[in-house]
This record gives sequence, structure tokens and C-alpha cells, in this order.
Amino acid sequence: MALHSSGSDSPKDLLHGTLDMLILRTLQWGPQHGYAIGQTIRAQSSDVLQVEAGSLYPALQRLAKKGWVTAKWGMTEANQRAKFYRLTPEGKKQLVREESRWTQLVNAIARIMNPASEK
Amino acid sequence: MAGWDDGDFQDEIRSHLAMAERDRIESGSDPETAFYATRKEFGNVTLTTEAARRVWTPRWLESVLDTLSDVRQAIRSLAKSPSFSLIVISVLTIGISLNATVFAVLKGLLVTPLPGVAHSGDLRVVMRETPGGRLLHLSYPDFKFLRDHDTAFSSLMGTMFRLEQYRIGRGAGSRPLSVEFVTGNYFQTLGVRAALGRTFVFPDETAPGRHPIAVLGHGLWQHDFASDPAIVGRTIEINRTPLTVVGVADAAFHGTVPAYDVEVFIPIPMLTEVGAPEISGDRSWNDVGANRHDGLLVAHGFLKPGVTAAEAANATDAIWTALAPERGADEQRERLHILRFWQSPIGPQTYLLPVLSTLSPMGSLVLLIVCANISGLVLARGISRRGDIATRQALGASRSRIVRLLLVETLVLVVPGTLVGLLAAQRFLALFLFYVDRLAAPQRMFFPVELDAITLGFAALIAILCAVVFGLLPALQTSRLNVAAVIKQDGSTRTGPRGRLRSLLVAAQVAVSLVLLVGAGLVGRGLEAASRVDPGFDDRRVIVAGLDLQQHRYTEESGRAFYRDLLEHMRSGGGFDAATLATYPPLAFIDTPTARVTIDGHAAQRGEELVARFNQIGSDYFRTLGIRLAAGRPFDDRDSETAMPSLIVNRTFAERFWRTPTAAIGKRVHIDGSDWRIIVGVAEDVKYIRLNEPPQLYYYLPLPQAYRSAVNLYARANTNVSAAIANVRARISTLDPDLAVDIVQPLSDARDVALIGYRTAAMMLFIFGATGMLLAAMGTYGLVSYTVLQQTREIGIRIALGATRVAVVRAFVGGGVRMAAIGALVGFIAAVTLTRLLGDTLFGVSLTDPRSFVQALAIVMGGVLLATVVPAWRATRTDPTIAIRHQ
Repeated sequence: MALHSSGSDSPKDLLHGTLDMLILRTLQWGPQHGYAIGQTIRAQSSDVLQVEAGSLYPALQRLAKKGWVTAKWGMTEANQRAKFYRLTPEGKKQLVREESRWTQLVNAIARIMNPASEK
Repeated sequence: MAGWDDGDFQDEIRSHLAMAERDRIESGSDPETAFYATRKEFGNVTLTTEAARRVWTPRWLESVLDTLSDVRQAIRSLAKSPSFSLIVISVLTIGISLNATVFAVLKGLLVTPLPGVAHSGDLRVVMRETPGGRLLHLSYPDFKFLRDHDTAFSSLMGTMFRLEQYRIGRGAGSRPLSVEFVTGNYFQTLGVRAALGRTFVFPDETAPGRHPIAVLGHGLWQHDFASDPAIVGRTIEINRTPLTVVGVADAAFHGTVPAYDVEVFIPIPMLTEVGAPEISGDRSWNDVGANRHDGLLVAHGFLKPGVTAAEAANATDAIWTALAPERGADEQRERLHILRFWQSPIGPQTYLLPVLSTLSPMGSLVLLIVCANISGLVLARGISRRGDIATRQALGASRSRIVRLLLVETLVLVVPGTLVGLLAAQRFLALFLFYVDRLAAPQRMFFPVELDAITLGFAALIAILCAVVFGLLPALQTSRLNVAAVIKQDGSTRTGPRGRLRSLLVAAQVAVSLVLLVGAGLVGRGLEAASRVDPGFDDRRVIVAGLDLQQHRYTEESGRAFYRDLLEHMRSGGGFDAATLATYPPLAFIDTPTARVTIDGHAAQRGEELVARFNQIGSDYFRTLGIRLAAGRPFDDRDSETAMPSLIVNRTFAERFWRTPTAAIGKRVHIDGSDWRIIVGVAEDVKYIRLNEPPQLYYYLPLPQAYRSAVNLYARANTNVSAAIANVRARISTLDPDLAVDIVQPLSDARDVALIGYRTAAMMLFIFGATGMLLAAMGTYGLVSYTVLQQTREIGIRIALGATRVAVVRAFVGGGVRMAAIGALVGFIAAVTLTRLLGDTLFGVSLTDPRSFVQALAIVMGGVLLATVVPAWRATRTDPTIAIRHQ
């Protein structure tokens, strides 16, 4: 599955929301730069989710605009200059909301897809 | 981070690429492969930047940027079909320029009639109105009473306008100019300031001894006094009366008669001293200023804020009623009438407004044709662009997106169309002003007509309306495409609605062009009739010269002597068959005054008011101008100053009251309540004011019994005209070398000059009609031939199946004629209704003149036939195999 920003309006919203949640989740363990966020999501999903730069960077701008993350230039361990994104308190609250919404959604879909397992 | 920083974002991308590249190299890739792979994986940097930036752009800005990109696209696509673009632009240009011109002139007359006066369109005019609807000037005492007691107006001033009747300077260096005699509050009421010195104040009107002063118009100061800064305090001479200059009026101000330039303003109490033709020389201001029978002033003023027209009318009515006992029985039935400024009977708006009110609906008709044309063109273009549009739809563009694109394309054409249209309007206005100027020569005119922001806005509004409404219909049609059909190259898809819209457009254009053609035809026929109409008199070889003795200090006595000598001098010595004097020319083209007449033995009905125009004439008048007498005798030496008051009436007058001209001889008539006059003769009717006037009551007074200081000399030459003109000048100057005679010309020239107004009007009507017709013909031709071209394939099939060419053409002609016939029927009905608007502009042509109608019908139907037959015939000439593969 690739997350990218082309396509028509309504599915994009869902995808945006999901991508935003993944980014916030990744930043929960500490500040990260854009490349590392993409690599982390990829590694954690065992290469299933490959976030394209064309979606990742606009998403980061969106989160910054909403005030959920802040950005600051710094140095990586390999001494490379990079821009690090950090969760704000507002962003942490948002992540909690997104997680509970996501859990509800997944459970709902699971009940539909797998009615037998409920019994 | 808050906000967008492009450099920072590029840095971030570079840092991303650097890290990704290093990761690849570390996992064993060679540097070159790593470089390219990283960039490939990252994707399009520009698009990413664009998407990231868009997060920060507000929604409205985004739609603006979208529209801009639409505009860019539209310009690109229009540049690919320059002929379409050029035709739409020029069609728009025509429609916009004609309408903007009419609008600018109308706006000038209605909204800003007086330059230099703020809100001059709101100015009100107060005049007396007789039960018969005649509007008269107020006497000075009546005006004063009204001014002192009125509560509805902020302030009321009075003015008396005199065109060209006064002279500045003496002798050969003198020249005529227009004057306003005004009350002391004239400038304050209008809110006009002095450019130099001061304007009038109230004591200039009321305090004795303060009157011999003048305020100069800015133009006079500039041209005749070289903008002399020391002009205040200098003395000028108007009709040889010295006046001290107290100031110069504001440069923008030209007096209170639209379009005319008033050059001198004088306090009204100076009227008797400077002199006026209607007031005999020996009366003083003490007499005239107290007399309720001397109508002098027109009152002007602005209503107080919040006062309605009805309230103002009630207020003035009450004041007028209070004055009733002071007035004579006849005048008691008069009332005061408050008019809007444009309704004032003084000034060129009286003849311009009727013309304009005809032109503006014609302008709208032309605009309608322009719209139909654009509609047709956009429709046709839409059909030829079906491939392009189908591709867009197939690629996922929504219908609204396509409609928007097509609309933007039309709007893009509106901008140059409007601009060029406004430039053309500027030329038209210059042309219009040039004609008006010639009409007024030698008087300078100041027309408050310009292309200002309001006119600009108007032009833009109609253009956009035109484009949106008439570009939208075909755009909607075009966007309703069957993609599959187009892509299969099926040229013959004829969806019902599109064909119907096209037929509707053809029918509409036929209807409108029929109306315009009938209008233009009627006007043309009217002009032709005007040059043929018999005015009832003979102006061949008649020379006219304007004289004004009062300006040269003649008394009534010396004036009479001068007239006697002049006529004797003209009649003796050869060169002339006859000579006479008269106040007004026959066929005057200006509304000459009227007077109330009372007939002995004819009891006036209640509310009936008998009024007639008149002329003061010398002996030999009828012989000089070739007017026949129906009964009685002409004026001669018997009708002297001291003889029994006599009068000659016209045939209409005689027949109305006594059935036959002969029966009228010896009957008695009162004029404006003076002594009885005996009818000594009956003259045949002539055209007195206009060529298209109905018969009217008219009478003549003998000049010796009704002395006038300003008269025209008429002399019938028996030599050639130019020699006769020199002869007239020579003979006048031998009698009085100082007497300035402004105009000596053949009477027929004077008539031609007077006709310019009607010619201008007729010409403009004709231009509108012809333009509209041409546009409609073009539009119809385009639509019909397009329909035919669309069906080239069908024609090919028919011919391949054995149909003859004639049969195929006939089938198409049938369709075309059917559309045209529907349009013609509608147009016919509309024409009969609308040509009534032409009314006054036509001379002696019936509004339902069959020739004009038949002509128009023939041209329109001929045009449609041609537009159908030619392309249909061409289509049948193509090889059927090619025709079938057409499109």
C-alpha cells in the first residue's frame, strides 16, 4: 500500500488522517527528521507502508500548521544537518484522539469482516 | 515553524536526499547509482513543494490561482483560432461602442448636465404652467414672493438666459455672446465659486446703485482678456452699457443651460438698462421689476434634504394660491410647476432627449444581436472543439470545470472587446460633439459628455453580462457531450437541444434585424421626404441678414426711421425684386413664442386655452417669400403705427373659426388681452417651425404696430447669390457703417443648418440600424452555413443514394426559411410596436410605411436564403465518398 496525495477527494481525507496519525505516532518516541519518519514507518510496518516524500512533506506542513508538531534544525548522529520535528502537547492529545478513533474503526471493520470470531 | 519558507523547505529536501543517498552508499551501492536512485525514489520535487506550500495557502487564494491558470489556458487556446477571437472581439466592440456612446450622452444630460455644479442632475426648475400646458417664466415680483416664502428649497435663484443676443465691445471689434441675467443668490445656490475676485452677493440684486457689475465666464476671461489677473475692477461694455467686472467664475462652470457657454453674468436689475428685445427701451427697472405680467425668470434650486417632490409642490402651490388675488383673471388658472432639470424647456436636451430615447432601445437591440452572434460563435466553436473537450472529460475533468473553462474563454475575449469598444465610443462621442458643434456655430458648446468611471463600469457590465449569459448557454450545450460518440469520430451526432438552440438563435436574429432594418428604412425615407417636402414658401435667391438695433443705441424712433430707409434702399437701385423685415424666419426650427388669442363672438370653453404662434412682419413679406394670400390684402402703408390695429391670420386659423378665409376678413381678435385687431388678410399655411408639424394657428402683426429692435432683413435677389450677399452688406453699411451684421446668408443655408440636428439624429439611427442588420446577417449566415456543414456527411449519403443536388438544396432551404419565417413574424410585430418610438424624428412618413416594411423583409429573407443556398450547394459539390468520411 502506498500513501500518496493524488486521487479524488474523500478517500484522500481518510488517507491523510491515517498518515497524520502514523507520523504523530512515530514522533512519540522523540524528535525525528522527515527522512527518518519515512524510514521508521517503513521498518515498523515491515516494508508494507512506503510513505512517498510527495505525501510525507505536505503532511508535516499540515501538522505544523495545526500546531501539533514544531520543527527545528539540528544535527543527526552522522553529523548531517536535518530538520527535526517534535510533538507538541496539543499533538499528544491529538494522537490519543486518533488512536481511539482508529481502534474503534478497526474493531468495527473486524466485526464486519469476521462476524464468527465475535461469538 | 509558522508560515511558509521556500528556502527552508528546499534545504530540508536537500538534507533528506543527502541522508537517503548516504544510506544507499553505506548498503553497498556505487555513488552514481545512489544519486539517481535517491532522486527517483523521492519523486517530483516541484510537485512536492507545490503540495506542501498549498497547505499554507488560503482557500480563496487557491481558487484565484486556479482561475488564473484557466485564463492562461484560455489565452493559449484562443491564440490558436485567431479568426474566431477577432470576430468575437470586433462584434463586441461594435455593441459596446454604440451602447457606451448613447449611455455617456444620456448620463451627461440626466446626471451631470451642468459642469462645475455639484449634483446638477438633482437641480429643480420652477416655472409657471398655463392650463394648456405652456411653461412660462416668472415675473420678478412673483419670483421674489416665492423665494421669500418657500420652505421646500434650500435656496431659490432666478435666471434669464439670452443666447447670442448681446454684444461685447463696439463696432467692428464687437462680437455676440450669451448672457444670463441673474438674481444675487445665483452663485451661492449653485455652489459655484469665483476663480478670481468674487461672485454676486444678495445686495448686488437689492441695493440701488450696486447693479452695473458683471461676473465673467472663465472662457471669456481667457480668450478675450488673455487671463488678465488685473481684470477685477476693469470696465467692459455689453450693448454699450459699461459694467464693472467684480470677478471671474470657476473654470468648470458654463452657466445653467446645458451645453451652451454663458460668458457674462449680470444682475437682473440691469436688464432694462442693458436692454432686452421684449421690453421696450423706455421702461425702467422700477416698472419692469414690479410688473407681474413681465415673465423674466426661471427659478432654480435644490430641495432641502429629506423633502420630497410632492411636498415641494404642495409648498409652492400654497404660496401661489396666496398670490392669486394679485394676478389677473386669466393668470389665476396658472399654477407653479416644479420640473426636474432635464425636463426644463430651455436648452438642447429638449431635442436631444427624444433622439436618445429612440437610440437607447436601438442600442439594446444591437446588443441583443451581438449577444446572439457571440452565442452562435461559441456554439460553433464548441462543436469544432468536441475532440478537445471529450479528451478532457475522458481524463476526468468534471462538467463544471469544462463549463468554467469555456466561460473563462469568453470572458477573456470580453476584455479586449470592451477596451476597443470604449476607444471606438470615444471616437463616436467626438463625432457627435462635432455635429452638435456645427449645429451651434458660431456659439461655443460645452457638452458634459465624457467616458468616465461610470460609463466604463456600464460598458464592462454589459460586456460581462453578454458573455456570461450568452456564453453560458452554448457552453452548457458543449459540455453535455457523449464522449464515446465523439471519440468514434461520429460527426453527425445531432443532439436535439443543440439544433433547437441554433434555430432559436437564427429566428431571434432575423426578428431583431427586421426591426432595425424597418427603423433604418423609415429614417432613410424620412430624410428623403424632408428634402422633398413643400414648406409653402419659396426660399430661392432669398438673402437673410440679422439686425439688432438696440445694441447700437437706436431708440424706437430712430429705429423706425432706419427700417424705412433700409427697405427703400433695398428696393430701389436694382439687384433685388423684393425686400421685407420680419422677426422670425419662416420654418424657424426653434420654438418661437406663443400668445393667447381671444376671438370676438367665440366663447372659450372652460379650460380651453387658445394660443397661437406669430410673427411681426414688414410690408411685402408675402411677396418676398412667395407665400400666397387666400383672401384679403397684405400689410402696406395703411397699417402704420397710428392706424387701426390690423392682423393677418393663416388659413388654418380662418377655417377653424369662420369656415372660409373670405369669411374671416373684417373679424376682430384680441391678442394677450390688448386692443381688438381687425383681420385684413388670410395667408396660406406654411411650415412654421418644423417640416413635420401638423397645421397650426398662426398670425402676423404689422411691424410698425409692433416695433421690434431685433429683426431679420429678407431680400429676393435677381442676381447671383454671392453678389447679392455682398450687395446687402454694402447697402446696410452705407446707411450705418457702425452697425454690425453677424450673419448674411441665403435663407436655404439657414434651413440646412437648422436641419443638421435632424440629420444627426437620422444618421445615428441609420448607423445603428445598419450595424445591427449587418451583424445579424453575419450571424445568420454563420449559423446557417454551420448547420449545413455539420450535415455534409448526410448530404453525401443522400447524393450517394441518388438524390439530385437541387432536391438536397431544397431540403435545406426549407429548413432555413422556416426558421426565418418564424423570426420575421415576431420581428414584424415588434417593428410595428417599436417604430412608434421614432415619432418626432420622421418627416412625412407613415410609421407603417409599407415600402420600408417590404424592403426590410426582402433583405432579411434574401440574406437567409443566400446563407442557406450557398453552403448547401457547395456541400453538394463535394465528392460523396469524401463527404461521407467528413469529420
